[in-house]
Amino acid sequence: MKKTVLDYLLKIRIPVTLFIILLTFAVTYFVAKPERDGIGYAPEQPIKFSHKLHAGNMNIDCKYCHTSVDKGRFASVPSADICMNCHSVARRDKEEIKKLVEYYEKNQPIPWKRVHKLGDFAYFNHSVHINKSIDCKNCHGDVARMEVISQVNSFTMGACLDCHRQAHSRLPELKDKIKKGPDNCNACHR
Amino acid sequence: MSSNNNKFWLSLNNYEDKRSFRKIQKNEFLDGVTDDFNPEKLPEISRRKFLAISAATTAITAVACTDYRDKGEIVPYNKKPETTTIGIANYYSSTCTGCNNHCGILIKTREGRPIKVDGNPDHPVNKGKICAAGQASILNLYDPERLKHPSKNVGWKYQKESWENINKDIIAALDKAKSSNKEIAIISHTINSPSALKLLKEFKEKYPSTVFYPYEYYDNKNKIDAWKNCFGQNTLPAIKLENAKIIVSLDSDFLGNEGNFIENTAKFVSKRNTENLDDFNRLYVVEGGMSLTGLNADYRLRLSPNKQLEFILSLINELILEKKINYSIPSDFAELVKKYPLKQFVDKHKLNSKYVKHLVDDLEQNKGKSIVLAGDKLDYQSQIAVNMLNEIIGANSLYADTDVSLTNEINDFEILKSTNNLPEKTQFEWLINKLNNKKVAVVIHLDCNPVFHLSPDYGYERALKNAELVVTFTKEKTETSDISNYVLAINHDFESWGDFITRKGVYSLQQPVISPLYETRQKEAVLLDWLSGKPNEYKEDIYHKYIMSNWEVNIYPQFNSKAEFKPFWYAALHDGVVQIESNPQNIFVFNSNSLFDIKPKTSTESLSLLLTNNYTIGDGRFANNGWLQELPHPVTKVTWDNYAAISPETAKQLKLKNFCMIELSVGNRNVNLPIVIQPGMADNLICVELGYGRWQVGTVGMSVGVNAGIFIDKTGNKFISDVKIKKIHGNYKIATTQEHHALDDEFVKDMHKKRKIIKEATIEEYKKDKKILHHEHHPDISLVNRKKYTEMKWAMAIDLNKCTGCGACISACNVENNVPIVGKDQVLMGREMHWMRIDRYYSGTPEEPMASNQPMLCQHCDNAPCENVCPVVATNHSPDGLNQMAYNRCVGTRYCSNNCPYKVRRFNFYDFRDHFEKGYYYQDSLKLVQNPEVTVRSRGVMEKCTFCIQRIMEARQEAVKQNRKIKGTDVQTACQVACPASAIIFGDSNDKESEIYKQRHHDLSYYVLEELNIKPNVTYIARLRNIKSED
Repeated sequence: MKKTVLDYLLKIRIPVTLFIILLTFAVTYFVAKPERDGIGYAPEQPIKFSHKLHAGNMNIDCKYCHTSVDKGRFASVPSADICMNCHSVARRDKEEIKKLVEYYEKNQPIPWKRVHKLGDFAYFNHSVHINKSIDCKNCHGDVARMEVISQVNSFTMGACLDCHRQAHSRLPELKDKIKKGPDNCNACHR
Repeated sequence: MSSNNNKFWLSLNNYEDKRSFRKIQKNEFLDGVTDDFNPEKLPEISRRKFLAISAATTAITAVACTDYRDKGEIVPYNKKPETTTIGIANYYSSTCTGCNNHCGILIKTREGRPIKVDGNPDHPVNKGKICAAGQASILNLYDPERLKHPSKNVGWKYQKESWENINKDIIAALDKAKSSNKEIAIISHTINSPSALKLLKEFKEKYPSTVFYPYEYYDNKNKIDAWKNCFGQNTLPAIKLENAKIIVSLDSDFLGNEGNFIENTAKFVSKRNTENLDDFNRLYVVEGGMSLTGLNADYRLRLSPNKQLEFILSLINELILEKKINYSIPSDFAELVKKYPLKQFVDKHKLNSKYVKHLVDDLEQNKGKSIVLAGDKLDYQSQIAVNMLNEIIGANSLYADTDVSLTNEINDFEILKSTNNLPEKTQFEWLINKLNNKKVAVVIHLDCNPVFHLSPDYGYERALKNAELVVTFTKEKTETSDISNYVLAINHDFESWGDFITRKGVYSLQQPVISPLYETRQKEAVLLDWLSGKPNEYKEDIYHKYIMSNWEVNIYPQFNSKAEFKPFWYAALHDGVVQIESNPQNIFVFNSNSLFDIKPKTSTESLSLLLTNNYTIGDGRFANNGWLQELPHPVTKVTWDNYAAISPETAKQLKLKNFCMIELSVGNRNVNLPIVIQPGMADNLICVELGYGRWQVGTVGMSVGVNAGIFIDKTGNKFISDVKIKKIHGNYKIATTQEHHALDDEFVKDMHKKRKIIKEATIEEYKKDKKILHHEHHPDISLVNRKKYTEMKWAMAIDLNKCTGCGACISACNVENNVPIVGKDQVLMGREMHWMRIDRYYSGTPEEPMASNQPMLCQHCDNAPCENVCPVVATNHSPDGLNQMAYNRCVGTRYCSNNCPYKVRRFNFYDFRDHFEKGYYYQDSLKLVQNPEVTVRSRGVMEKCTFCIQRIMEARQEAVKQNRKIKGTDVQTACQVACPASAIIFGDSNDKESEIYKQRHHDLSYYVLEELNIKPNVTYIARLRNIKSED
């Protein structure tokens, strides 16, 4: 039987093309997923604040700056006057501290770049997690070792539910303290 | 010559058929066409390469410029205020000045912006409750059309001007008036702020030619005059409604919009407790229109207001002469009364004689425990007759003594009023005269709108042109500000300081909760600035300091407080109210000479007009508030309009149909109004609500309704006889949220009773048989597996004995849950977005209907029919019994709404904020009013009541913080907090100790459409009518 162009197209050219397209799509989808979810995002901040220095080396408690983390929905980015608690005397000669002082004295808020973000339709509550003894690390990673803060976990609904549904295997150290998290819509959406 | 044979040619060469032309014809190109072409000279980029590069550039710029990973910024405070915690609300107590009741309020602020108002629970008068208008007044703060700066009339427009310059001009004008001894007229509403009164007194001292003209649009002058004459006191007592067993309302809408109706409602329903059947009160309403109070009547009689005097005299006749009540009335009066036998009156006006008999019997048997309330609109003579009647039935024991005797400060107001040495009724006539004779130099309008409010008979607008200077303090554009020389933009209540006397000894404080959003100032501060004479040295806290020093010197000493002034003041500000405990004994001595004023005329049967207060927009001051314009009228459920209400019988006689247009005329004035046929109205009477038809107002209130105030003459009477109506061409589109002529239709008549949507019983029936509502049993068969709720299960109970149908809950829900305003055109299409509505059903005949109210909201059914049909599972059930709605998931099929038997689901046909008046509610300032804990829904999603899930989650957060389980009592829904009658109970129905459990297992509890077996979680407590069993 004579091989026609049509045969070639149907049997080889089109399947191969389709396969390549699908493969590319699948590979890109999976490879790019963390990036799409924001993992590894570490924007340059207006002041080169080091969590490693403050939370790591100096071992300052997270709550010293993120004051409302155990009070309400928001952990809150500290206001400049919290920084000035120490920096009104400490390290006044450093370049970055000078920037801080300038913001503070001009009464300008510091425009920190947002690293972690949930959709506006999700009402995540920090205090509920913190007051159930769930450590910041579980979502935010080992901040105490980060020179520049970056996102380490994905903040998708899947990620939330993964932990909520299998709290005991995800957080074995809290096995006795917590039950599984709620997984109904109203837990986060309203 | 035929054209077919024509030969066509291009050129002469062609015509001559030359060889050169043939070659051109044969070849594509001319010779040498490529001669100059040199590929070496071409750019090196090929077409393909160019396309590739441009595609890549586009891609790179697209990626690089948007920085798709960028998540914006978090901008924290620079110096965080100590009291603010991000995400946690702060509450400040203050005072509402939406009307003269001055209720104590509690303002909820988030990160410094007010987002919700509720009553102040510590306030002794309103006890944590406020009305629908008070709830919605927060929208006025963020109204994009608020005046943002003071301005000056420069002939053809209002031009922005600085406060300093304006104040300089005004001070100069005031000084000139002082030196030339010309009048300075200050026009205001009633002032009962001690500090403001002191300030005005000082103003008068500095400018002695000042004259004050206080007025109210919805006044009770007749009532006060009669009271003065009968008891020699200037203020009306509060009524101890909580002690009254029989309440007779004569055209008095004391539950709806007269007096302090919030306080009245709470007191009234305190005797509607199903646990205490022997202590149930009975409400008789005798009225012309159909009012909210009429909806709640046990017995209702229809009577035009002009016949009320005869009715009262007939009642006195019956009680004294027939029933021989032991009370001696003056002989002259007895002679008069003799002419009015009750039986004759009842026959003449075809009243229900059985009801009248019950009324008389009840008054006779409940001496000292019954009261007759006369409406503000009744004339002076009727008011005196009612005072007399109350004496006879011993109602004076229900006058609260604490409220009568005048406080020093109210006396100040009386003194202030008397500066013009004029009786209140004629004061404006004097003012107009003086204006016309050019004797008035400066007219100052203190946040009032007399051009809209005063009778057109005065010709105030014209007279104002004769004033040398007109200054208007106002928050937004009004009819008065539109013809002023200076318009001074003032602070909203939430930006102001103030102090008010709600009752004797009850001082309510007002404090700002946000700094002024615009270049506005507080009106008192401006007056102080004028008094100081130094406008360049103005300071923001000038009035704050003034109030404080006034309190320190004058008010604080009265309290005999052990605390120093500063701690006392801060404690007072914190609580919002302070009270002087005193126990004055006021004896009410009836002056029988007042009875000589009663000279009844025989009432006519002509068509007459009653102008009533509206339920939502006050005296027109809330006209630009969309939430209030869209709040359904408690009786007719009409939104965005006023109308001429008329009885079915009169409509038939005059051949009028619902919504047809009429021309209503009195004398030479007329207005065109749509007709609404209102069951239960007296015949030959037309009721029109006032406050509508503003012509100088913002976008929202513009051309809403018709101003019926033009019919008020100089006497201020709101009952007008001899009106003419003429049917004119055309129908009007009235946006009601409920069909209201269902009574005529045989098919739907009493549908709510047939389908057991409304279950009712009389007290006697219920006493005999406690299970009277539960004789029917529905088979408990279900196709689906029922989930067991063993832990927590949220549920609500609504006590229909208490619900009066006022609508405060709807207003509170709108504010709490970011419910959008859709506009009249959308309400007409049935697209209103209210999560809660109050269904009003009539039963009986259209002439004498009985009304039933029923708040309707998502019932959070255990077997919710909406959940089964959602193709994307956007609505489903939570483990704590809530029917949850995930907006993100919703694709807008509307199947759920179609399958909901209660019709409580609302679909966003538009992004209504954007859609209403070309994005009116999308403006920047209005973003601040949104509750940050509730999603702002956009086009294409379904929404409905969530049982205030944000409040449940907040309670849960607090419970986790305290390491305990959440309790049912931790949560109060917005409607529950707002309900002036406390008819709504919310909690955990699995908690056997809880109130909600008790209500759900109450003998009177029932579910609407129980037979569907969908297990709703909203329980209704059936209304008990306190009527005698033979009726």
